[in-house]
Amino acid sequence: MGQPVTSDLDLARDAASGKEAAFEALVRRYQGAVRGLCRRLTSHAAEADDVAQAAFLMAWRKIGSYRGGSFKSWICTIAYREFLQARRRKKIEVEFDENTHILAFDTSAARLPEQLDLDRALKTLPENQRICVVLCVATGMSHSETSAATGFPLGTVKSHVNRGVAALRKQLAAESVA
Amino acid sequence: MQTDERYEDLTALFEAQDEALQNEVFVEQVMKPIRRRSRWRAPLLFGAGGIGFGAALSQIGGVWDAVKAQTPTSFEADLSVSLEALPTAQLAVDTQSIWLIAAGLMVISCAVLVMTERA
Repeated sequence: MGQPVTSDLDLARDAASGKEAAFEALVRRYQGAVRGLCRRLTSHAAEADDVAQAAFLMAWRKIGSYRGGSFKSWICTIAYREFLQARRRKKIEVEFDENTHILAFDTSAARLPEQLDLDRALKTLPENQRICVVLCVATGMSHSETSAATGFPLGTVKSHVNRGVAALRKQLAAESVA
Repeated sequence: MQTDERYEDLTALFEAQDEALQNEVFVEQVMKPIRRRSRWRAPLLFGAGGIGFGAALSQIGGVWDAVKAQTPTSFEADLSVSLEALPTAQLAVDTQSIWLIAAGLMVISCAVLVMTERA
């Protein structure tokens, strides 16, 4: 039998009492989810990591306010807010990067490019739809959590997610056929 | 989770991508400023606390002097105290106020520091 995994809540409590090692364990546990979220939102790996780092630093300061529930949703909500702040500060382009994603735009082509992967398919979605898909589908946040994080009405979130997921599936299916 | 089942296929793809992002360098980048901040936080708090404690200790002597100066031992002594010790007592009160303000500022600074570190 391996060592029992310490729960997120226990780690958060330890971190709140100043134990850096506990927070480090949380960073290690959720860095993939947070960095992935930021990359899907910003489109630029370096800026995404800056936002992810800022999110973890904010989480360290606010760790005492975590009261249980999904830590992943909690930290991803912080990351989403950090992304919004970073976008305001640095004017991060959340629209398509025309240089790197030109293939994904080329919908007039007879068939989708072979290189079209999940990320590229995601970037073809309108911004708000993409945000909802990323938060609900990629990070596993519920519709209501996403609604609370983004400020979009619950019905709008559901609609964005349903349409976004349908569009993603369609593109991925087209890619696999191609 | 109310949405998991319907998006399982896509969620699995995203999670696989996230798994690939696991990186110790990133963990170090996050933890470095946290460790650095923690390193000066404790000495600063203890230092400020020590200064505040010192201020409080020094006040005990000042209060004692003021009490002694204003306590008459006899009518004659009372007269001499009222004439001679009054400016001293006033000075003690001023000094006390400065120390109290300083100690108050220390306490507020420490509280702000703690609040910003752990909101």
